[in-house]
Amino acid sequence: MYVSVRLAEEKCNGCRMCVFTCPDPNVFNFYKDKKKISVNASRCKGCGLCVVACPKEALSVSAG
Amino acid sequence: MKPGLFKISPGFEEVMPAEYRELVEHGPYGAGMGVADLGAFKELLEEHPLCAGCGLALSLRLFLASLPAPQDTVIVGSTGCSSLAFPQVALQNIHSLFGNQNALASGLKRALSLRFPDKVKDVVVIAGDGATADIGLDMVMHSWFRQENITTVMLDNEAYANTGGQESGMSPQGTVLYMAPKGKKFPKIPLPEIAREAGCAYVGACSPAQGKRLERMLRRAILVAREIGPTYVQIFAPCPTNYKFKPNETLTRLKLLEKEGVFQPKEYITREAQDLLNKLEGGGKP
Repeated sequence: MYVSVRLAEEKCNGCRMCVFTCPDPNVFNFYKDKKKISVNASRCKGCGLCVVACPKEALSVSAG
Repeated sequence: MKPGLFKISPGFEEVMPAEYRELVEHGPYGAGMGVADLGAFKELLEEHPLCAGCGLALSLRLFLASLPAPQDTVIVGSTGCSSLAFPQVALQNIHSLFGNQNALASGLKRALSLRFPDKVKDVVVIAGDGATADIGLDMVMHSWFRQENITTVMLDNEAYANTGGQESGMSPQGTVLYMAPKGKKFPKIPLPEIAREAGCAYVGACSPAQGKRLERMLRRAILVAREIGPTYVQIFAPCPTNYKFKPNETLTRLKLLEKEGVFQPKEYITREAQDLLNKLEGGGKP
């Protein structure tokens, strides 16, 4: 079981609050042209700071 | 370090680790990246062993993103949680003895200014609260008294966190930790005020909850240290492991503490430093 962040891409509006709250580097990538983020789950530790910060509830922390 | 120093020999692109390739292709050296660009470039930190939800790790990440010239910066670390992340930092760094970091940085800065007289080399000390306020306080204060041109950054997590949770000089009064069961007997050391009185040209206290403010304070501290004298920045980064709260509460707790007035952001600037900052930042109060 590996707990990490999951992204519901349709809810993301590209505000980047998650990027500024994540303690681990390079978990989130931001694409300027699409105004969306992408998640690199293998670098995530599942602390949930981004879930609290996300205003659109696009992120969640779960296993599997 | 030149911007093109990191490169992969032809033919070896596929066997190099993905992190190294990313650093060569999307690294921030010489590109003028800041906190506002996070997410668009490869950060100087790689997967570190700090706990989930660590405020100190977030501070370190923001710190590395806000360096004005990462290719010409040498960071000096000391024993503590922050030093666990140092092997994963793509920046020239030195790990000193516990508490010896400012003495080492003083010599390093002098040697660098002799070796590279026509270049600006920033020496930034980044250490925990134990190394700065307890064990290394004499070295830290004497580097301020001597007016060394170095920046001292303290990552204040209010405990000796990776040795099981002993109280440090920066823990608030009454703190009960795993290895401090009776509660701390004396209040938190007012190090920003001590730094101001000890001759620091710029003193800042901030938290990782507001990345832009942290970036502004760190950049100011480094720019003032280049021209005028010692500077000090204190970053309050709570420890979820030893203060026993959930990892996802680090920043909400920080904001609450700031709202209640327990944690206060501070900025002390001497007149000379203010004149310099006005000149560099284009006049007026930013």
